[in-house]
Amino acid sequence: MEEGVKTCFKNTGFCNFTWGSNAAEVDVKDGKILRIRPLRFDKAYERADLNPWRIEARGTVFEPKMCSLLPPYTYAYKKRVYSPNRILYPLKRVDWDPRGDRHPETRGTSKFERISWDEATDLIAAELLRIREEYGPYAVLVQGDGHGETKVVHGPHGCQTKLLELMGGYTLQARNPDSWEGWYWGSKHAWGFEALGQSPQNNLWLDVAEYTDLILFWGSDPETTSWGWSGLMASRTCYWFEELGIKSVYICPDLNYAAAIHADKWIPVLPGTDAALQLALAYVWLDEGLYDQEYVRTHTVGFDEFAAYVRGDEDGEPKSPAWAAPKCGVPEYTIKALAREWAKMPTAIARGNGGGMARSSYSHEPARLEVYLLAMQAVGAPGRCQLKMGEWNGDKFPGPRPAVDPNLSAAGRGWHFSVPPQFVPKTLVPEALTLPEGEQLTWYGTTLFPWPKEDQFVEHHFPITSEEGGGPIHMVWTDSPCWTTCWNNGNALVEALRDPRIETVVAQHIWMENDCLMADIILPINTKFEERDIGNDVFSGQFASVLYEDQCIEPLGESKSDWEAVGEVAKKLGLYDAYVEGKSLDEWMEYAFATSGVQELVSYDELREKGYYPVPTREGWWADTPRGMRAFYEDPENNPLDTPSGKIEFVSENLKTVFPDDEERPPLPHWIPFGKTQQESLLHERARAYPFLLVSNHPRWRLHAELDDVTWFREIDTCKVVGPDGYRYEPVWINPVDAERLGIAHGDVVALSNERGVVLGGAYVTPRIMPGALYQDHGARLDPIELGVVDRGGANNLICPSSVISEHCAGEVTSSFLVTIGKADLETLRSEHPEAFERPYDKDAGLLIDAWMTEGEM
Amino acid sequence: MKAFLIDLARCNGCHNCQIVCKDEHVDNDWAPYAAPQPDTGQFWIKVNERVHGSTPKVRVAYTPVLCNHCAHPACAEVARDGAVYQREDGLVIIDPIKAKGQRALVDACPYGAVYWNDELDLPQKCTGCAHLLDEGWEVPRCVEACATDALQFLEEDDIRERFPDAAPLGDCGSCGPRTYYRRAKKPFVAGTLFDPACQEVIVGARATLLDEEGVFAGEALTDGFGDFWIENVDEETYALRLEAEGYEQREEHVVVTDGVNVGDLPLTRTN
Repeated sequence: MEEGVKTCFKNTGFCNFTWGSNAAEVDVKDGKILRIRPLRFDKAYERADLNPWRIEARGTVFEPKMCSLLPPYTYAYKKRVYSPNRILYPLKRVDWDPRGDRHPETRGTSKFERISWDEATDLIAAELLRIREEYGPYAVLVQGDGHGETKVVHGPHGCQTKLLELMGGYTLQARNPDSWEGWYWGSKHAWGFEALGQSPQNNLWLDVAEYTDLILFWGSDPETTSWGWSGLMASRTCYWFEELGIKSVYICPDLNYAAAIHADKWIPVLPGTDAALQLALAYVWLDEGLYDQEYVRTHTVGFDEFAAYVRGDEDGEPKSPAWAAPKCGVPEYTIKALAREWAKMPTAIARGNGGGMARSSYSHEPARLEVYLLAMQAVGAPGRCQLKMGEWNGDKFPGPRPAVDPNLSAAGRGWHFSVPPQFVPKTLVPEALTLPEGEQLTWYGTTLFPWPKEDQFVEHHFPITSEEGGGPIHMVWTDSPCWTTCWNNGNALVEALRDPRIETVVAQHIWMENDCLMADIILPINTKFEERDIGNDVFSGQFASVLYEDQCIEPLGESKSDWEAVGEVAKKLGLYDAYVEGKSLDEWMEYAFATSGVQELVSYDELREKGYYPVPTREGWWADTPRGMRAFYEDPENNPLDTPSGKIEFVSENLKTVFPDDEERPPLPHWIPFGKTQQESLLHERARAYPFLLVSNHPRWRLHAELDDVTWFREIDTCKVVGPDGYRYEPVWINPVDAERLGIAHGDVVALSNERGVVLGGAYVTPRIMPGALYQDHGARLDPIELGVVDRGGANNLICPSSVISEHCAGEVTSSFLVTIGKADLETLRSEHPEAFERPYDKDAGLLIDAWMTEGEM
Repeated sequence: MKAFLIDLARCNGCHNCQIVCKDEHVDNDWAPYAAPQPDTGQFWIKVNERVHGSTPKVRVAYTPVLCNHCAHPACAEVARDGAVYQREDGLVIIDPIKAKGQRALVDACPYGAVYWNDELDLPQKCTGCAHLLDEGWEVPRCVEACATDALQFLEEDDIRERFPDAAPLGDCGSCGPRTYYRRAKKPFVAGTLFDPACQEVIVGARATLLDEEGVFAGEALTDGFGDFWIENVDEETYALRLEAEGYEQREEHVVVTDGVNVGDLPLTRTN
């Protein structure tokens, strides 16, 4: 042990709903974080205590390491804690005068000044009381549902909701299934699985290891998307698949980071056209009899109608490889070859959430078709499954499971939602804020994203009637905000927040970025390293653990945790005791432990003393549940699925009953390149002006919008492209063929544009993106040249489609949308908006908080 | 003597090694082993990336590079006042006090592993985290953080015995580099063969590479996708002969400087 070094334990995952991952040791010295390193499971325990699992198959051995497998996000987090972009004091927008003119029109352009906690909490308390008095409690919209640090007692997301419940309620921004849209809106109706629409995973590692010969990574990137939730276990898993001799085929427009090193075959498919490819595969199987006809007869319903559609009986167009090739960009001969390879051997489809297919327009169609293709090859049979490559816990974990999944939600403020009478799906918030007086928004589903499929059949409205207390929004309270940089058409939200009816916008956040720019009052939040808390690691795939998360360092500046910050407001309202429910921090931590499920395995005193407790692997894990969908495969009559027929439904009975005439999500899935809701297709006339499809995955060197200011990432070539002006632009991948045709060189500053606006980027000429498509990570930090019109940071969600997936599906379309690309005219932009180019900027860290402050404030 | 062993076939490009090196050394003063590393611009271990091939036959090769902890370090040759020394465990250390002002160390290193710190007027490089090893750590930070075991820190004798294929990346000739690499990804020649008449891939076709003297230099059969991948090809000029039963033979001229994708090539049926 180094002298003077104290070690704390923290989970550093980003799930933020009280479910942690990436457990780490944090060494602290002289009040500063010295280093962050893996949690060593065997540091305070014997290896045998952990009952380590072991999978032996085909001459390979797969077993856990004795330390956590952290992603670079964790190792760089010190930079985030000490970021020059930290909000250290309460701030108020200088143009916003609650007693006079509130200047909603300058939100995002006027600057901020420092105020005291006393002033800030006085202002917020007074506004809450006034708004409630004038409009009723539902006039406050809470945006608190995703993206943030994973804390338990300290929030985020569940603090302002708790306080507002005590004040009579609020309107909830109901989070859509943002990383699972296609499966949620589509697959659920095909095979019934809740809550995300994906297959159960029990012991599928074992099954894949023993039987699978081919894995199709269909738009998933286990070397990137898994990092924030499950660290690098997915990477180890991919190397193990190689050792097992399993072939990996990647089907995606981009050679993603996993494909770059693991692919035996990359099949580039044009963004958003997966359904055409899938239908053509079904066509080959039908044509050549290469599917399991007995399984289809005994395990599915509606196949004949599907087969008729594929053969072209409905529209006269056989969905043959020749039909599909020009639509999806995959050669006819490759489609046939893929169909035969798949039919020839036990094949799995690997999923890691995100990926363009799940987040494009009409994504429920390819997601359903995926289920049907799996069904035609007897899904549930040995080695034939849908495999998840991250976000592992409970029956979503394909590996050997822990004796107990430690659950801290009894004290968790990451997910403290009761669904209030008035709510708005997250995707429709801009429409709700700007809704003309007397009008009503109507949608189906998305009460909250894990709600059961029946919720999708319920018609909802905003606002609810005035008799029910409903009404428009006049105040917004947001935490960990990143709507503009992660949801659909951020420019529409910018515009909405400038609506004169929005009188007050409160944000609580750690860093000055993104939606914070549009706030009127900002409360400075600290990082989890600055607080004592309890935590867990349930997603990382080796061992689950519980952590006594001791305070590492003192809070920076005047920052407080989400829980404490809202508590300060509660004090001003005389609601503090009710807000904390009479419990201190330590009492909440102990309460969380006492109800976690591990209290029978270890004492709280031992946890506190050792700092962590790794949960041993479940005894007899390999035989305690049927693998994946095996029970259904073996006996569908006695193990029915949660569909009306109990079988896989090629024609969804529910959809046929509730939405028989929906042309955009018909009971039988179709190839829908565009329709009345979305027109993001090269086959649509919009493609004449916007001839490229932009792919935007979960980012490599960020976690959504977080970590964009980490200097150690920004100097990596694939993270930022240094422009001729020294600014680090967000890379835009363009194929050498397209780049040459357009005269674009590597390193040029380019503009991506469509009707919704312009975002800049740095041209990154690479064969890793197919011709006709462009690639840019989502989530780059907002740096408006002209707010709501042109963004320098490269936050492409600003120009995503504003409308939803399809008529009855209020999900987001944040990938595979039309843009055009050209060299940016920086000179003109600079001459028209000189102030935007003169913002305080650090070449390594990017924009600084000073850019948004009045002179000399920070 | 200890040495680093890097298995390039297991490097996933995550950059953990590069990032933890900064976590350990930026803003932390490990005198007398090392002065703080600047926040950016220095990479005591750096992950290099090279993209091979063209769409859709593309592979990315990552190579972590760091100090070779040479047996006869070139930096030590030019160092004054004993500013560079080798420890008993083999790690080569630049003394952060004695090396002040000695820019010659940067230029002397044939591997570019020594960086110049303007602010401190100091040459700097990887210390193998000697400050931690002396505290009882078993391995340096980069090795601990490598989730896929691509990086290891072992007895040099063990490396030589257990991994006869391991060798330094380059050798200046006199310095005896001691950071070992194995399973480097070498260039490939790849392509897809198909029959344009029926729009089918051709399975089991033979692709043969012949050098300029006509000597056999590698071959592969096309797989179920009609793809052939001739692996581990030297950087030279070749004739690529493509043969399949029932098709006319086809020959391509291939210049290999990198991974080469000859594209999707149609073969013509013989009558």
